[in-house]
Amino acid sequence: MDLNIFLDKLFAAAEQAGLEAAEAYMIEDESFRAMATNQEITQYSSNLTKGLSFRVKADGKIGYASTEAFDEEAIGWLIRSARDSAVLCEDTSEQFLYDGREKNPALALEDEVGESDEKLQFVLDVEKTTKGYDARVQKVGYNTVITGRESVRIVNTFGMDKQYTATYGAAYIMPVASEGDSTASGFAFQIGRGFKVLDAEKLGTEAAEDAVSMLHASPVASGQYRVMIHPRAMTDLLETFAPAFSAENVQKDLSVYKGKLGEAVAAPCVTLTDDSLRADGLASRPFDAEGVPGGTHAVIQNGTLKTFLHNLKTAHIDGVQSTGNASKASYSAPIRVAPTNFYIEAGEAGPEQMMREIGDGLLIKEVDGLHAGADSVSGDFSLLSKGFLIKNGTIERPVEQITIAGNFFEMLKAVVAVGSDLTFPQGTFGSPSVDVGKLSVAGK
Amino acid sequence: MKDFAQEVLGAALACGGDFAEIFWEDTRASRMQLLNSQAESINFSRLHGAGIRVFVGLNAVYAYTNETDREGLLRCAAQVASAVREQKKTVLTLPPFVSPQLPPPDRIAMPPSGVESKRKLDILRAADSAARAVSADIKQVNCVFADIEQDVIICNSEGLYVEDSRTRTRMACAAMADNGKEKQQASDNPGASMGFELFDSRVDPAATGKKAATTAHLMLHAPECPAGVMPVVIDGGFGGVIFHEACGHSLEATSVAFGLSEFTGKLGQKIAADCVTAIDDGTMPNEWGSTRVDDEGTPTTCLTLIENGILKNYMIDKLNGKRMGMPSTGSGRRQSYTYAPTSRMRNTYIAPGNDDDAAMIRTMGDGLYAKKMGGGSVNPATGEFNFAVSEGYLVKDGKITTPVRGASLIGKGSGVLVNIDRVGKTMTMDQGMCGSISGSIPANVGQPMIRVKQMTVGGRAKE
Repeated sequence: MDLNIFLDKLFAAAEQAGLEAAEAYMIEDESFRAMATNQEITQYSSNLTKGLSFRVKADGKIGYASTEAFDEEAIGWLIRSARDSAVLCEDTSEQFLYDGREKNPALALEDEVGESDEKLQFVLDVEKTTKGYDARVQKVGYNTVITGRESVRIVNTFGMDKQYTATYGAAYIMPVASEGDSTASGFAFQIGRGFKVLDAEKLGTEAAEDAVSMLHASPVASGQYRVMIHPRAMTDLLETFAPAFSAENVQKDLSVYKGKLGEAVAAPCVTLTDDSLRADGLASRPFDAEGVPGGTHAVIQNGTLKTFLHNLKTAHIDGVQSTGNASKASYSAPIRVAPTNFYIEAGEAGPEQMMREIGDGLLIKEVDGLHAGADSVSGDFSLLSKGFLIKNGTIERPVEQITIAGNFFEMLKAVVAVGSDLTFPQGTFGSPSVDVGKLSVAGK
Repeated sequence: MKDFAQEVLGAALACGGDFAEIFWEDTRASRMQLLNSQAESINFSRLHGAGIRVFVGLNAVYAYTNETDREGLLRCAAQVASAVREQKKTVLTLPPFVSPQLPPPDRIAMPPSGVESKRKLDILRAADSAARAVSADIKQVNCVFADIEQDVIICNSEGLYVEDSRTRTRMACAAMADNGKEKQQASDNPGASMGFELFDSRVDPAATGKKAATTAHLMLHAPECPAGVMPVVIDGGFGGVIFHEACGHSLEATSVAFGLSEFTGKLGQKIAADCVTAIDDGTMPNEWGSTRVDDEGTPTTCLTLIENGILKNYMIDKLNGKRMGMPSTGSGRRQSYTYAPTSRMRNTYIAPGNDDDAAMIRTMGDGLYAKKMGGGSVNPATGEFNFAVSEGYLVKDGKITTPVRGASLIGKGSGVLVNIDRVGKTMTMDQGMCGSISGSIPANVGQPMIRVKQMTVGGRAKE
């Protein structure tokens, strides 16, 4: 049935069931995806879906149920399931549903997502550019363009009814270069507010360069190396260890930063910011998953831990204001805390200058296996990596089949320099190149 | 849906194409979390939708929707057809639906939706208290109970019409040991294609909690693993992740069909040591990665991937099968209707060999014994893999000396397979969630204890 009729019936049923409070969080997602190989469109998909997560308060506790079916049966099921969930829940910390009466910041979150034809042409062009760049690039994989328009709406019994719509466009490709007995894969990724910001020529070239640059890579000898981490690898690490800055994890004693507010936790050149209003930020939004507006928060400022990220519940426990970081991993997931646009602020030196300062060391461009080789609580990591050997301040040769190992939180303290080249390689996490001092390397 | 499915398939093929398929799904899932002995969140969810796919030659168009009534599916089909726009239209005559003969479904004694949530929470409480009993250092215990009942209907323009139900239950226990200075986490996550009877016959929640806590406690007091190249013995069960990452993904038609795997074109060739035989079996009763039919409606199979070192089969779905000129092996899988299927692993393991476990370690010299593995990942194009060792021990002169933490193993698939020099006699399996382009799916990994002559071990002990 129509979503508005469904909502009316759902809230009427919730009132009848005597629930203390209720909230519906809805997502409508229109997405497009195309993939091409050998100048043919091999996968094409175009979709429209919606989902509703129902959050209720009963016995003073919160319960959840969600549905993708919007029929009469779903209404009764949502009420029953969400109430059961609340009754069984034993988390008795005070819970809040927000009234959201304030005016939210105006953000430009929508752009054109492009016509199907031009997007199909785009993936064909990317492949052509990649293969045309160098004869050693013979195959491409995962050559994909994605666009989407996502609308979020929150309605609750405290009178909130607000929504926003955001669009995005992304493209990526993994070419494989071969020469003699050496095979190397490359990767390039672009993401932005819409389709128009994607650049096939640039993407194809960057991917091909990436693959070719890794041909004939080999390990270095095991030992301690001075390491500079490329923005691509650094944002992967930042994303993995970001949960340490969530007040929820701090309160549950799952963060090394518990009790460390106001203390120096990183080198003075490190400032780490969460900004839900950043003009070109892919995670920008007028309000969070509880309807609370966000803002710009320095989590670490010049090395000092300034704040954790909060939702309403964690902010109440700590006696502070929510930072507007309430988040749902998917529309159906419970409300947690997560960063928005989360990045290490740029420093002064360019990456070339940083390499000159390093003299001899390693530039790490890619780290793999983060879901297994990194412990987000302790900060320990030991990761398959690739990059380049730095000799006398310049790149000497490509390096693969090594691991770098260390502890992320210790590493932040040991940072020697932060580069001027801040980028957001996959959208929401950002970093410049970072000289992290010495790390253990396993190679040959 | 049966009465209008033909109409929908016809509409999907209205602008050409040579194959159309509907994948319809209605799934109920529950997930509850017990954090530090307290029910933290309980979440019930219902997934509902359908995906329509059309093949045009070797390519595919896919669209999905939540609106699964006749009008909704016809709209979705029209969207697919509008993307097909074939120049030369050949109008297919659709044969009447026939449901294939299938083996009987696995018995589900206690469907999860019929079990009170309280009892599920009690399972977690048992794991929680067993974990805490291991040591006063166990400061955090996070337990999750998850079950899913997925009803699917798969029908296509070749006249196939299949209905299937999949039931899965799993628990997870993550324990954290903390001595005030450092924290170490370990987990155990058993599951099966079963209902709540999982806990009568297969899984003891207290044992799960104890296992997780014991490893976390042991690792808290373990020194860092040194880095270097050394022989490695990998235990059974989740140790099978080495084959899954180092080789399994590269044998999926997803990469083989496009020549993007290092094993493309190597059928019948020797790619592993003689002692290596590897199987991918989707038919094992009640196993985590089993289904009666795959997500394209093809009956699943027991497939020999490698026999005594020789590559015998790839794992193939319908579309990649067309690309390769080979039939589907019943390996087409997807997380849900929001993904087009592709070839994926099911229950994948190295078959038992002839070697003695104790002798394997006794004769290895100096190296690493990886008792428990964490997850890993692979780049199929180059075969480069990595995975984490969640419980490792140093071996000196054939004797296990000290536990070590923070080790990871890296290498290239083709290299590690030829370097396996011992395969033990007892195969065991563990459960994992495997991620790829058709989403996150349940898959078993398994092996007996094996030995690899040489691997690069990553660690952060300073020399």
